[in-house]
Amino acid sequence: MKRYGPLAGACGSVFALLMGLAACGGGDGSSSSGGSTTPVVTTVNNVQPVVVDSGPSLNGQPIGANDELFTTVTICVPGTSTCQSIDHVLVDTGSSGLRLLSGNIALTLPYVTDASNNPIGNCVQFADTTYQWGPLVKVDVRLAGEVASSVPIQVAGASNFAAAPASCTAGGIPAQTLLELGANGILGVGLFRQDCGVACASSSPPAVYFSCPATGCTPTSVALTGQLQNPVWMFPQDNNGLAILLPQVGAAGAVSVSGSVIFGIGTQSNNGLGTTQAQAADINTGNFTTTFNGVPYTTSYIDSGSSGFFILDSTTTGLPNCASSSDAAGYYCPTSPASFTAITSGRNPNGSGTTVSANIAFSIANGVSLIDSPNTSFNNLGGPAPGVFDWGLPFFFGRTVFIGIESQTSAAGTGPYWAY
Amino acid sequence: MRNGFALLAALAATALPGWAVLGGSAESVVTDQLKFQAKRTVVETQEYSLHVISLDDGTLIREYVTPGGKVFGVSWSGPTIPDLPQLLGSYNAEFQNAVHVKSGHRRTAGVHDSDLVVESSGHMRAFYGRAYLNSMLPSGVTQEIVK
Repeated sequence: MKRYGPLAGACGSVFALLMGLAACGGGDGSSSSGGSTTPVVTTVNNVQPVVVDSGPSLNGQPIGANDELFTTVTICVPGTSTCQSIDHVLVDTGSSGLRLLSGNIALTLPYVTDASNNPIGNCVQFADTTYQWGPLVKVDVRLAGEVASSVPIQVAGASNFAAAPASCTAGGIPAQTLLELGANGILGVGLFRQDCGVACASSSPPAVYFSCPATGCTPTSVALTGQLQNPVWMFPQDNNGLAILLPQVGAAGAVSVSGSVIFGIGTQSNNGLGTTQAQAADINTGNFTTTFNGVPYTTSYIDSGSSGFFILDSTTTGLPNCASSSDAAGYYCPTSPASFTAITSGRNPNGSGTTVSANIAFSIANGVSLIDSPNTSFNNLGGPAPGVFDWGLPFFFGRTVFIGIESQTSAAGTGPYWAY
Repeated sequence: MRNGFALLAALAATALPGWAVLGGSAESVVTDQLKFQAKRTVVETQEYSLHVISLDDGTLIREYVTPGGKVFGVSWSGPTIPDLPQLLGSYNAEFQNAVHVKSGHRRTAGVHDSDLVVESSGHMRAFYGRAYLNSMLPSGVTQEIVK
């Protein structure tokens, strides 16, 4: 690995992200931690503060986020108390795995390597055509009082790592810096245990994981345990899912909103399912069905990383698109707020074979008026996504939304499921 | 089901074409053949032909071809986003320019010009999108068929 940085050369698999802090020897938790000691399972603090605000600062100014949910993540060199905290990491139920920007990481962290001891690179592409590329390293992830040990995460934009493969950058926009991403990272706490899953463990994997010897990166398969992990399912307790709680906001939105992520479902006195109803999601895609004006849309999902309700198209909703030259390009711009009701439905995850439905009332207001206001937290920001029903962050205001992780069980049944 | 599908695609992969470029000739599928191993089926209608291309990772590409042999629309769905420069050809630059100037929102991207329309959405493990050229829609065909 010496070819990835002058100071990494003497450090074996240690990944020197910040040269001044590179320290050989103590950083490789895989060899020195002596096996992770399983914490005694007691009641731990499972409440992680989250906020919707104008985002991280860049050059002394907030970056200007709208409807983006953030939290502070603490990462540690595996098995040690050498840690750092990174604020304004996007809380994303539309992905799984922790991705942090290289420029924010001050720790010396061990690479995840393949059988030939080559580091592994990861490419993620999002539907807004942004991509992130960088090596996998292992950290302990601390959220509230919970610890997930030796979690593979992605370091996006690492300058001392192989360049992004062409298949990763093809047609895309890098989201490797604060300016490009608008956040200091992405905390994927979606329905799945891994970002990719069995497809990337197969013998013909998609171009997501790469083996990166000095000769260049080539796609490779990675076992499930080596992939990016939703850290929640790796907690010793409170690991069957999580809940996101945000208070309601008014029609004009709010300057900022403080809420909570609570880990575990029915594992402590503060995370019972209550009167919520659970709906299973598709085990491959995480999608379910939303019926709108009598038409069922099977490509429907709940995504806290979507900064709006992204639903259908102008013709189907009757909502005009905002002008492409406006600040709110990509959103809807009705002259007055429009109210709708849609029905979400899915199989009951308890195995009873019944279908569970929920009526969801929502409204969509003028995107330009909202975006150009001083507020950042809106329950009525929406835009087009033809054929798709994306319940984005506005869905979460005024609700408790449970995310049941795949193959994990609770009183509601077995994940993947949503309950609200 | 996924395993069976992958096996079928692998068996058919050796000599079958990839996909054509938006606005290009339907014959251009052959030039892409080496880049994307895929299996293809064709559905003929009176107004257009629909080529459905299955990649072995589960991605489905649909390309809509005029009676004159021009690709007027494409759509995609699958666990990863397909190679959009490959799909959109010379129109990819216009799409990317539009995406670059968008506001800060996440998870969708699109361009709606008088001629070119591109729309991208979805989330990890499930991505969707479509693109079409209004000027190339065959008579009697509306944009809604591109899905």
